[in-house]
Amino acid sequence: MIYRIADNIISPLGETTAQNYQAVKDGRSALRRYDHQWDIPEPFTASLFTEAQNEALAIQGLTRFESLAFTSAKNAIEASKIDVSIANVVLILSTTKGNIEQIFENQDDTTIYPGTAAKHIAERLGINTKPITICNACISGVSALVLALRLLDAGLYDYAVVCGADVQNKFTVSGFLSLKAISENECKPFDMERMGLNLGEAAATLVLSRQPIAEAWAIESGAVRNDAFHISSPSKNGDGARMALNAIVRDSDKERLAFINAHGTATMFNDQMESVAIAGAGLGTIPVNAYKGYFGHTLGAAGILETVLSMAATDDHTILATRGFEEIGVSGRVHLSSQNSTTDKCSFVKMISGFGGCNGAILASKTPELKTEENANGNIEVKHRVQISPSTIVVDGKPLALEGTGKSLLTAIYKRYVDDYPKFYKMDPLSRLGFVATELLLKAEGERKDTPSEDRAVILFNRSSSIQADRKYLASIIDPEDYFPSPSVFVYTLPNIVTGEIAMRNLYHGETSFYITDERNDEQIKQTLIASFADKKTKSIVGGWIDYQDDSHFEADIYITELTNK
Amino acid sequence: MEDLVLELKKEIIEALNLEDVTPEDIDADAPLFGSGLGLDSIDALELIVLIEKKYGIKLKDPSKSKEVFMSVNIMARFIAENRTK
Repeated sequence: MIYRIADNIISPLGETTAQNYQAVKDGRSALRRYDHQWDIPEPFTASLFTEAQNEALAIQGLTRFESLAFTSAKNAIEASKIDVSIANVVLILSTTKGNIEQIFENQDDTTIYPGTAAKHIAERLGINTKPITICNACISGVSALVLALRLLDAGLYDYAVVCGADVQNKFTVSGFLSLKAISENECKPFDMERMGLNLGEAAATLVLSRQPIAEAWAIESGAVRNDAFHISSPSKNGDGARMALNAIVRDSDKERLAFINAHGTATMFNDQMESVAIAGAGLGTIPVNAYKGYFGHTLGAAGILETVLSMAATDDHTILATRGFEEIGVSGRVHLSSQNSTTDKCSFVKMISGFGGCNGAILASKTPELKTEENANGNIEVKHRVQISPSTIVVDGKPLALEGTGKSLLTAIYKRYVDDYPKFYKMDPLSRLGFVATELLLKAEGERKDTPSEDRAVILFNRSSSIQADRKYLASIIDPEDYFPSPSVFVYTLPNIVTGEIAMRNLYHGETSFYITDERNDEQIKQTLIASFADKKTKSIVGGWIDYQDDSHFEADIYITELTNK
Repeated sequence: MEDLVLELKKEIIEALNLEDVTPEDIDADAPLFGSGLGLDSIDALELIVLIEKKYGIKLKDPSKSKEVFMSVNIMARFIAENRTK
């Protein structure tokens, strides 16, 4: 369990949590319609900062994205009164596309890497430890809170500054448009007539403590589960979301839940899936709400922003309305909150789902009891290991001879050892690398199981994010005369898709997470993997380093690990 | 029409990265989706991009695409009737 010291939300509705909460309580929204914004031919509705707001937020030497995230984190840290330069504190940055708008101006790939942004932000904040960025598509914010819970519970840090942020631009908006996921009108979560999502810009921060704090908000539990179904469509049965809910809510918790704050993007599939998952988890009687009608889908900020807002609402004994919702349009039996109502309960669930098939959920409470978790002791044991570079393949220490170098080496591995999974050819280079490395790893492990499992997690790290897919997608939108955004390329600009591909191939319903750091740090990877075994279901992890900078610079060093003495 | 069907098969193979598939492997009357080609919802979206890019046809309503993408022959007929380039 970890405890809130301070928080902040910056959105077009305000620059403090209090301002944002009041705006939402009053039913206000910053959603508005844009025609021809950024030369995008289709109209769309979004929640974007105004020019004046952007100017006020701009910080010399930082990008627009970095300025936004930094300001939110700085405000929360100031309110926490912690001297982060001397405290044992970690910065966890949550973002879906981070600095991607720099790809239009800057030819230097490192500027675009999310780990670079995290480093800049940590330096400005005066945090001396190495930051971690979580890039788990739309669930990043909840994943970041789950990671904070683990790192603090494991005793690795005393405090975590968990900051989620995203800004919108031609790259992100055209991508979601190509997936036919965006509504040109204001979104209508869970409604009969919902027509898709609206994107939004925001940052939100939580400063969390390992030491119990009386009367404070606590994040009690959190989990991530995968649908193992499809990289961009949620499971029709809501498998992953239901499993995530079941992992964090015990029967005895149900009575004390004030509400469930759903993802509620207002796409046909997401809301339907969530309703089935909530009902399937036995939580159908608990009020459900969604905040996308106020802020839009703020991507990497969403999980944190919506958690902070839910805390503020619960403090005010309020279950907020689902703006845009009128008439139920989902088949799972759920109880939508259509108007602000009162509650005297002090706990809620935040749930969220995203591309790559990942689903996350946390349970937050106004301190029910004070306790510090036992530190997760133990070490990890590497059962099998695969290393791939442009010229070498090594399995459990033994070199594997195959014709080919660079990209063609990966195809050679596929043809020699798999050859019956044509989806391989649809994958971006990063996913191909992760896919063939895992295939070799599982071959080394023995006979492949073809039954679904929830006890194996896939937790990977890299530096270059999805740079190859980013560049390829950019090529499909950069020329206004030849503007044909490719949905199949855009999906792979979410680096966590590789974890989804592995989960889907092997029917792994366990956790899938993707972390980015500005350089490979094996000690940090090891500590994070050990801490990840705090998920009681996880018995083994496919984990490690997987980076694809370009066809002559890539590296996989992944392994199957188990926790010894667990 | 036969030329268009063959051209379309080649374009589908390229756009959807159907590496090990040849035009002869695709039965022009068989359903494109739910058949041996293993196509999914992203492939359907990519086909929408394809017919806009190559033939200048804008499919605004994604649900309409289900009818158009029934088979390569149906797709070819639709393109022949609606193409602007």
